[in-house]
Amino acid sequence: MGIKNHQFNIVMMILSGIVITFILFPLFSIITFMDSSKLISEMFSPPLVNAFILSLVTSTISTILLIIFGMPLAYCLARYSFRGKFFINMLVIFPLVLPPLASGALLLGIFSPNAVIGKNFHSLEFTESIVGIIIAQTYVGSPFMILASQASFEAVDVSYENASRILGKSRLDTFVKVTLPLAKSGLLISVLLTWVRTIGELGATMMMAYNPHTISIQIFEDNAIGGLKQALPDILLVIILSVIALFIISIIRNKKEDVIRIRWS
Amino acid sequence: MLEIVDLVKKFSGFTLGPLNLKISNNEILVMIGATGNGKTTVLNLVAGLIKPDSGSIYLDGVDITNHPIESRKIGYSFQRPNLFPFLTVYQNIIFGIKKKDRINKKNQIEKLVKSLDISHLVNRNIHGLSGGEIQKISLARTLVVDPKILLMDEPLSSLDNFTKRKLRIEIRQVIKNLMISCIYVTHFEEDVYSLADSVAILKNGRIKECEKLGTLLSYNNLSLNSYSCEVENEYSNYLEGIVVESVNGITKIKIHSFFIELIGDYRIGTLVGLLLKPEDIILSLDMVKTSARNVIKTNILNIGKDDYPTIGVVNVYLLVNGIRLISRITDESLKYLDLKKGDYVYAIFKSTSPRIIRQVKI
Repeated sequence: MGIKNHQFNIVMMILSGIVITFILFPLFSIITFMDSSKLISEMFSPPLVNAFILSLVTSTISTILLIIFGMPLAYCLARYSFRGKFFINMLVIFPLVLPPLASGALLLGIFSPNAVIGKNFHSLEFTESIVGIIIAQTYVGSPFMILASQASFEAVDVSYENASRILGKSRLDTFVKVTLPLAKSGLLISVLLTWVRTIGELGATMMMAYNPHTISIQIFEDNAIGGLKQALPDILLVIILSVIALFIISIIRNKKEDVIRIRWS
Repeated sequence: MLEIVDLVKKFSGFTLGPLNLKISNNEILVMIGATGNGKTTVLNLVAGLIKPDSGSIYLDGVDITNHPIESRKIGYSFQRPNLFPFLTVYQNIIFGIKKKDRINKKNQIEKLVKSLDISHLVNRNIHGLSGGEIQKISLARTLVVDPKILLMDEPLSSLDNFTKRKLRIEIRQVIKNLMISCIYVTHFEEDVYSLADSVAILKNGRIKECEKLGTLLSYNNLSLNSYSCEVENEYSNYLEGIVVESVNGITKIKIHSFFIELIGDYRIGTLVGLLLKPEDIILSLDMVKTSARNVIKTNILNIGKDDYPTIGVVNVYLLVNGIRLISRITDESLKYLDLKKGDYVYAIFKSTSPRIIRQVKI
């Protein structure tokens, strides 16, 4: 039995090692292609800085929109039973399983100048504009916000909320004073995940607004023109941002002791 | 006063009710029943955590059946207290008090915190507190909002015996001092003896009996033996008496017309309820000289050979001046002493055996 356990551990370690190598391997190509003498100046070139700032601004707006509209839906899905909940649960996953290009094409179907919404709101440019980028990012980022927030709300033991209501607090008070503090860590992680995902969004954004360039489109274009060597400064910027975000997420996850279960003697 | 009228709640495979129950002001009603008989459901219905299918709940004459949870003015102490982990002990206690009332209530909070002996904990966060401390803080949090009725769902079940015993006495004192009503759900015999003014027995989703504790015990030979399905029987001997002497750590208690001695100092005149395990009572045919301070001449009422589930052990029912006691001995001892119904025997137990679980100072 002991040998079998040992063999099992070895197999698991080998399989895990293969995946880790697979994830790490492309990062080594950075070293191969990196020209350190030009790298810094290229990283701060105006088109790249503009694309990067545009991505930060649009993804922040998209994330805020998803906090305002997505989190309440996540709470409803986590706490209420209602007719059609099964259907809505499936619907919120839809942008995740749909290829982003297909999402973009579907969005164009309603926001392009000749489509239902685009036609009726002439003053607003939905395509080839910042608004278009935000729409695409919000659509593709929505499952990340809703599903992760729903899981965070579900992780809050409902008996805490019951205790609060019995102590005289309304639903709103209980949500603000009990549910949010208890779900805080999970919600922060869902916000960060959504933000990082919307920064990296390409397919749907490309369909809705190829211009102005977001950082993802800039990477796509530089890589198409000059290969990885030209796209490398863009990629490095995104990697630095992703590492910072992942670092913050890891810290939050480690600190996630809010929902501590009281130990019973 | 709480009144439950024809309350029904249906689940798949189980129906609670129709339930009718009245709890007077300042009354502690202990509800017993086997697991799955609907005890917690009754509390959840009263608290509004679940909606009944039919029937009504009245609190001080007001129909609260459809009132939202937060406006019912009900306190609920859960089996798992769920103190808010992101707040300190004090913040937890004052959680339910409106900000504008906090200054006015300062004295009341201090008094309650003192009576529960948790003053030293108020500035701590809740991590690392013991189970007993957590239950006391939870009780304080529940009581500071001045509930009209207190619901307690086996709050002591996960605590050690020592803490349980200490807390039972404190809980009863605090509830009685605040003069509120309480429904206390349990399946522990000792909770019934320690806390109850009246007892409701829930079986198959219905109230089988609801009586004052004294009445229930008098109907059932002064024990809860008949309810072994609803409550964990361990003691079987519950006696009530008055402290007549207390010297050097030994207290003498008068029970009807006989006396027993036990350890501890109690104020003379205090009415007490005490428990005595049947296993602690030794039977002897003769008056022997022993270290035990309690030797009482009794008459054998009955010998219950099938009353105890362990093979080779029998219950011997004794009568002493109108009071019934149970002694638990082996078959071998029964044969050796050749005990029969109607025989006189001496019941012998040490002063360390009886334990006071309830007291009323006069």
